[in-house]
Amino acid sequence: MDAPILSARDVVVKFSLRGQILTAIRGASLDLYEGETLAIVGESGSGKSVFTKTFIGMLDANGWVDSGSIMFEGKDLAKFKTEREWLTIRGKKIAMVFQDPMTALNPLRTVGMQIQEVLELHQGLKGEQAKKRAIEILDEVGISDPAMRYSQYPHEFSGGMRQRVVIAIAIACNPRILICDEPTTALDVTIQAQILELIRRLQKRLGLTIVYITHDLGVVANVADRVAVMYAGDIIEYGTVEEIFYDPRHPYTWALLSSLPQLGRKGSPLYSIKGTPPNLFTEIKGDAYAPRNPYALKIDFVKRPPFFKVTPTHYAKTWLLDPRAPKVEPPEIIQAMRAKYRVSERDA
Amino acid sequence: MSNEREILEPVEQQDLFTFAKFDEQAAERIGYSDYSYWGSTVRVFMKNKVAVSLLVVMIGLLAFTFIQPFLPNQKDPTKIYTDPVTGIQLRNHPPSKEFWFGTNSIGQDLWSRVWSGTRTSLLIGILVGIWEVCFGITVGALWGYVRQLDALITELYNIINNVPTTIVLMLLTYIMRPSFQTMVLAMCATGWLGMARFVRNQIIIIRDREYNLASRCLGTPTYRIITKNLLPYLVSVIVLRMALAIPSTIGWEVFLTYIGLGLPLDTPSLGNLVNEGRQAMMSPSLRYQLIFPSAVLSLITISFYVIGNAFSDASDPRNHF
Amino acid sequence: MLRYALRRLWQSFVTVFIVITLVFLLMRLLPVEGYFAESYDKLTPEQKEAILKSIGVLDPWYVQLRRFYSDLLHGDLGTSIVYRPKVPVREILAPKIPYSVAFGLSAIAISLVLGLGMGVWQARDKGRFWDKVWTGYIVFINAVPSAVYLLFIQLYVTQITKLPILFDRDRPISWILPIISMSLGGIAGYAMWMRRFMVDELNKDYIRLARAKGMSSTAIMIKHVLRNAFVPMAQYLPTSVLLTISGSIYIESLYSIPGMGGLLVDAIQRQDNPLVQTLVLIYSTLGILGLFLGDILMAIFDPRIKLERRGGSR
Repeated sequence: MDAPILSARDVVVKFSLRGQILTAIRGASLDLYEGETLAIVGESGSGKSVFTKTFIGMLDANGWVDSGSIMFEGKDLAKFKTEREWLTIRGKKIAMVFQDPMTALNPLRTVGMQIQEVLELHQGLKGEQAKKRAIEILDEVGISDPAMRYSQYPHEFSGGMRQRVVIAIAIACNPRILICDEPTTALDVTIQAQILELIRRLQKRLGLTIVYITHDLGVVANVADRVAVMYAGDIIEYGTVEEIFYDPRHPYTWALLSSLPQLGRKGSPLYSIKGTPPNLFTEIKGDAYAPRNPYALKIDFVKRPPFFKVTPTHYAKTWLLDPRAPKVEPPEIIQAMRAKYRVSERDA
Repeated sequence: MSNEREILEPVEQQDLFTFAKFDEQAAERIGYSDYSYWGSTVRVFMKNKVAVSLLVVMIGLLAFTFIQPFLPNQKDPTKIYTDPVTGIQLRNHPPSKEFWFGTNSIGQDLWSRVWSGTRTSLLIGILVGIWEVCFGITVGALWGYVRQLDALITELYNIINNVPTTIVLMLLTYIMRPSFQTMVLAMCATGWLGMARFVRNQIIIIRDREYNLASRCLGTPTYRIITKNLLPYLVSVIVLRMALAIPSTIGWEVFLTYIGLGLPLDTPSLGNLVNEGRQAMMSPSLRYQLIFPSAVLSLITISFYVIGNAFSDASDPRNHF
Repeated sequence: MLRYALRRLWQSFVTVFIVITLVFLLMRLLPVEGYFAESYDKLTPEQKEAILKSIGVLDPWYVQLRRFYSDLLHGDLGTSIVYRPKVPVREILAPKIPYSVAFGLSAIAISLVLGLGMGVWQARDKGRFWDKVWTGYIVFINAVPSAVYLLFIQLYVTQITKLPILFDRDRPISWILPIISMSLGGIAGYAMWMRRFMVDELNKDYIRLARAKGMSSTAIMIKHVLRNAFVPMAQYLPTSVLLTISGSIYIESLYSIPGMGGLLVDAIQRQDNPLVQTLVLIYSTLGILGLFLGDILMAIFDPRIKLERRGGSR
């Protein structure tokens, strides 16, 4: 496999909150490869957003990267301190699309100006030239009558249209990496598909590397090449989308997939994960998922599991993969998935 | 991510690799935080060192103000003192052992006048504050809840709010005879506006916010919505209003006294004292008559202002981190 | 926009009408002493009756009100009784207005420039040294009655700087202190609101996007925060004009400036009813006009305000 375009190692992010220290990311590692689409999934509060925010230095003021490294283009982003350093990355090399397009745009500036701003900032375009380019970009993201739309204000746009504008701003400078933080959560289902399609098209044309942050596994199945599962501030399993969906190894991934309504069977109650995620204010001993894990081993409460290799592309952090561990069969739903997959693979 | 399998230290107990018992309580136990609204409010307030020290000073000062007349060796604030030997009034007697703050231009004891004046001014402030809160909440609630009244009260509000408060106060005190009641009435006529508008806005928010809709759908009784969702907002604003009523009424009183619409001269009040002091201020040796009342007045107004705002900030959940 | 302005104008007009009527009726409640130039007690009941009849205050109130409005339309503001007996109010006012306007406008201009600048400075240095210093200033100005600290300024600043203690129209140097005094409150007000609005804007989502775009904090401040903070600021602007008006009443009297504010204090002290009435009307109208301008200004700044009514939003 090629060298990764971005490589995060053992990243620890802490926040100071109400006089206490909260460890939001507990040594997460992630590689990102040129041109791929990686989805980071996990429930709310698992640290998906926070983790990716460290890539462009946009943690809230009370948070900081405590240790670890984030290598990008030969530089360690985790060591960046000043705004000046970040300005060489943000918007230019790594861009971000946010969840809620309704509030992401400045209500008092025209849509065109907000796009033009980036062009002037990073590409040195001026005046008419920048305007022309801004209109082109509006057209590119599928906004009809872009010349007219250029001088309108955000409140004259619908939610889906605004998200297109936000995407236009993000891609205006041909970034290498595009981070999409739940880009479709706030939108109607029909609009969602359009936006995903738009991102896919832009990726192809511009050769973008995309990171999706989402808790919508439906979106993941649709768009991702690889999936990383996050739980309590750590990446606990990653692999190709097929590996994660059809051959998951971590009990948390099993639980996550089992709770998908699409996979439930008629008549049987919908699966839900018992318990609550751990309190990040306290130090977590062993596997963070252990207290909720029906398959937990005693060692899970004592020692944090390392990554165990399943295939060259598939790793999971669970003691169940240790040779000494007892054999465990995944839940029925997962087994059924796996069987279905094997059949389809054989047919193919 | 080539994390090779880590070699486990010699594992002495092989039974580490047996299943642990699933403890449902352990899975649930881990709630997010032990957040409590009032606890956090108090904690954030306590962090504001300036406000806390002013609060301590203020409690002391207020206690003193009200017990001062009952202390031994206190003088009558309205009695005119004369020299026991010559029988001449002790006019403009500088601060001394006998008269701690000196005497004024007709020989009254400034020390006892300052505390007596503080009592008067605080009483005005408290009365106006209570009225503001009670009437403001009532009108605000009607304004917000009774849709038929909305347009009417809004118009009324616009009219009153359009005229500078100074003018309204001057006009009202001008029309009525200067007295304690006049002063309180005039200030009551203007002060409730802000409160009413705030309550109205809160009620409209309460009515329409989704979390309230949600809790109503879950069958939460209205009183519970009011106590849990509305009251925390209101308590902070009530405290703020009450606290700010004192500096603002004292300010108006000083102003109205200056233009000749204040309390009668035989009622000591901070406004009257400052005004008396002002008349004496051009002669440097008599300046104490302005400085003493002004110092007490400023201490009180600044304290109430700072404490009120600090509490209001502390009660805002957004500051609870 | 035009429709909004016209409707707002009409609304203000109605308000002025109601306020004028109310003030007029309230003034009728006053004891009749205010209508006599000479000492009230020296007159015989017949003389009193005759004087009251001649100025028309014995007529039913609606007759008086109609007469008052018809006079007003003809530019007749009545006649002073005590202040300068038998002189038309208009003549008394005419030379005073330029002073009040000059002082008021310069104070507003100074407080706008310094206040907004201070607010921006505070928002930028939020939580740091200068923010705290200026917050201290704002707390002091807001908490301590202006009637108190202005006295001390008049007393001690004149001593230290040798500036004249009273206004003298022929000595420009005597303008300085009153104008500064009038600006202090406005500066604190503008700074406080500007800081608050800018901090509000800084916490909004679009700032996050602007940061993600790779804009520097300075550029974000100038291009996004500042302008957006001006919108709510525009609404506050006239309210603080009201404050300047209030302040000017006291300060003009304090420094013996021959303006309308000082005149109002004099008229009240001498109980000259027609004069008080006229001045109250002028000040109320100014207040209403100020708020009207503020709303228009805000509508110009904010493209989102599409003529919807902002009932009770102030």
